[in-house]
Amino acid sequence: MSALTGLDQLVADHRIVVCVGSGGVGKTTTAASIALRGALQGRRAIVLTIDPARRLADSLGVGPIGNTPGQVPAGVLGPEVSGSLAAMMLDQQGSWDELVARHSPRPEVEEKILANPFYQQLSQSFAGSQEYMAVEQLGALEASGDYDLIVVDTPPTQHALDFLDAPDKLLAFLDKQVVKWFLPGVTSGWTVFQSMNRSVRFVLDKIEDVTGVAVLSQVSEFFAGMGELFDGFEARVERVTALLRDSETAFVLVAGPGEQVLGQAEYLQGRMAEKGMPLKGVVMNRVHELSGALDPQPRLDGVEEALTAMAEQERLANPAALAGTLAGTWKDYVYRARGDALRIELFRAGLPGELPVAQIPDLSSDIHDIQGLRSLHMYLFPGFSLS
Amino acid sequence: MSTAELFSHRLLFVVGKGGVGRTTVALSLALAAARAEKKVLLIELEGARSLERGFQALRDAPDSPPELDRVSLQVVDGQSSLEEYLALVVPVRRLLDTIFKSAIYQYFVAAAPGLKELMAIGKIWFEAERKERDGAGPDLVIVDAPATGHGIQYLSMPQAAAETFTVGLVHREAERVADLLRDGSRTGAVLVTLPEEMPANEAMEMATALDGIGMELSLVVVNQYHEPPCEPGELAALESGLMTGEVDPTLREDLAQTLGAVRAEVSWAALNEAQVVRLESELGRPMALLPYLFCEEFASAQVGKISENLAGELASSPLSSQENSR
Repeated sequence: MSALTGLDQLVADHRIVVCVGSGGVGKTTTAASIALRGALQGRRAIVLTIDPARRLADSLGVGPIGNTPGQVPAGVLGPEVSGSLAAMMLDQQGSWDELVARHSPRPEVEEKILANPFYQQLSQSFAGSQEYMAVEQLGALEASGDYDLIVVDTPPTQHALDFLDAPDKLLAFLDKQVVKWFLPGVTSGWTVFQSMNRSVRFVLDKIEDVTGVAVLSQVSEFFAGMGELFDGFEARVERVTALLRDSETAFVLVAGPGEQVLGQAEYLQGRMAEKGMPLKGVVMNRVHELSGALDPQPRLDGVEEALTAMAEQERLANPAALAGTLAGTWKDYVYRARGDALRIELFRAGLPGELPVAQIPDLSSDIHDIQGLRSLHMYLFPGFSLS
Repeated sequence: MSTAELFSHRLLFVVGKGGVGRTTVALSLALAAARAEKKVLLIELEGARSLERGFQALRDAPDSPPELDRVSLQVVDGQSSLEEYLALVVPVRRLLDTIFKSAIYQYFVAAAPGLKELMAIGKIWFEAERKERDGAGPDLVIVDAPATGHGIQYLSMPQAAAETFTVGLVHREAERVADLLRDGSRTGAVLVTLPEEMPANEAMEMATALDGIGMELSLVVVNQYHEPPCEPGELAALESGLMTGEVDPTLREDLAQTLGAVRAEVSWAALNEAQVVRLESELGRPMALLPYLFCEEFASAQVGKISENLAGELASSPLSSQENSR
């Protein structure tokens, strides 16, 4: 067997592969395809997905209920797969609720917290909450020891790197210092209300008056009930963050060729290195590919003429008009492909030469089963053969 | 729904999931409305300031459209709206400045559920009602709302606040804002999506959520729609012609590439069409299809050109009816 190359080597060398990127670039499909490659390498692989398309979820055996790993049957994977493939869908709300249940001192406290509007905001929509939970679940999967390759599909974000900051953002929000304000004091009343400047208190009361949003009470109630949760919180976040910074964890950027992020190769690497989560691979998805001819203009007339002749021969209606339209489609396509190639080249120029970059063409088909995921391997892991 | 009908609203929220082209559609709508002599205020809620950048690029472009003079832009964020509001109710400026800097104040304002959303939507209401109030306000306010889930939170806040407080000032104010949002003659939502499975799913969820709030879904904009360049049968005939017929050998490779590109477009068009049919039957709302634009480079300077194209698409035909748009 020849030496592995590119992303194949990357998958072989790491226990955790985190796919980052903004939304709508095919992250979920790429992550699932990478996990399948792991299974082909003979490993026990799992993909943690966020929001898979229904048919892909079905074929991966991911049910509507999240947070329970589903195993893809060996019969579906095929005989040449020596490892195994599981998939799990992240259930954000369920994960938070479990966390609360685990750390609530009493059932009444749990109920109260689940109904608390601040808790609901925190668990459903606070920026970073979903990312944090993805990291939490990654930690749990890793600790289970059931898998030797975990591929994480991250939540769609506005910017490709938002995922990296999200857990920190949440941590800062639930900062120890802040939580301290709410812990019941030894004497009567909470520290926060004792230490709070009277004029601040006045303004916060005023906000409650004019907006009707219960600023103080809901937030305080939540922290008072969840004191215990936050005792272990920091340690837990530190543990999973360490996992992300582990040398056996690889970050792979999944991007489309039209994205602005391609203008920022150096910025991307700088930011990721700073975080201790270096970029180790790139997947360019939906690339308009072109072989050879870069400028169709000189040959366009010939093509149009030949197409007209072909259309006449096939007795199609309006041969000249049809040929004109189709030649136009080609021209558009070539311009787009040329733009993609240019942007990718500029992007690559800003990356270290040894960093693997895989290109997946703009495939005009939905990928929704194991065969489809396999079909991506020729692009993700070129040079790889089954034998 | 004609262009005139759409622009007769006072307030339009452009909603949809991330990456579907909300910002470009918001800009395009603003331009189209400005061409129809409307004074337009574009509002960007929090986020990456991409609308602000797009607006700037359009204004700085050498062939900047003259109607842009009738468009202005405001970035609205909840915290500054709150502080603006507090300055009205607590007139001691120096006291407020000290408080605004306090860590505890900062923390509670960030943490209070829905506070920022409520204040931001209140600010939008204030701008939208300006015309009635003093006659000087914009004819049309177009809001580039945050991506799906968070966008819904903004829109549902006033109702939530009105329900929490059954009497008093908060109730009255929240009720007025909620009334404006629910009044289909004044407020509408423009839902932007892509004709692909996942974005279409999310668009349908969004439509259900809008319905829950009682908001009118005025228009569905399907972005990046691939038009089939020819019939599948025509393509198949040409493909077999290339295989079997007599073709100039120097052109064979070019012809193969041409038919390859056409094949890709035909497949995309079929996938897109299936989703458009699905969106049409599920949503039953007026729909505009914006073509997939091929361009060599999508730089910020080109945002202007593209949005002009899109605005042209909107202004020329598709809004008038579902039939016309197809």
